[in-house]
Amino acid sequence: MSDELVLPRAVREEILRHALEEAPKECCGVLVGHDGVAERAVRCRNAHREPNVRYEIDPRDLYAVLRPMEDEDRELVAIYHSHPASPPVPSPTDRAEARWPRALHVLASWRTGAPELRAYRIEGDWMREVPVRES
Amino acid sequence: MVTVRLPGSLRDLVGGANKVQAEGRTLDELLSDIDRRFPGFRARLVDERGAIRTYVNVYIGEHDARTRGGLGASLEGASEVMVIPAMAGG
Repeated sequence: MSDELVLPRAVREEILRHALEEAPKECCGVLVGHDGVAERAVRCRNAHREPNVRYEIDPRDLYAVLRPMEDEDRELVAIYHSHPASPPVPSPTDRAEARWPRALHVLASWRTGAPELRAYRIEGDWMREVPVRES
Repeated sequence: MVTVRLPGSLRDLVGGANKVQAEGRTLDELLSDIDRRFPGFRARLVDERGAIRTYVNVYIGEHDARTRGGLGASLEGASEVMVIPAMAGG
């Protein structure tokens, strides 16, 4: 598992654009790539009934993005979502519901009017911010 | 024989493999078959009431098993099952 996220500028901008477009709802999606390098962001639908404060990636979107990766030698590098009204830091709910320990968690926020994006590794109650390296 | 694809978080339960082969006429039988070889597997996917856990999605081919009867879903004609834990948070 990589201890940093390599994020091309175009992918970073796509995540932040998604967050801005979905506000005040939380946006969500996944980053596909290899060895900690995010090659592309895939937007998914937020299926949670309280989308302003919670997210759940629509299972149909999950299947549609994850199944082809099995044959493409690509991996799930990260799961991303936005915090429209709070800092881009994993919430207690984010930590409690994290079930993909090998994937990083990317959080985006425009709460101050300026774009913020951070990445974390979450495993149980333990979490750690990891560097985001633009490529 | 059905190929069961597993995400990273479940691979540890089956010795690290990303997929296993199993048999069953229904999803319930399929999970029980895997559980015989890898004890504890079924309990990760099925709750105390005998339903697929709320935070687990199981696809039979391209179909969500919940739309096909849950654990009782028939596997007739199916060659692949994929287990996908939910991605959720707040």
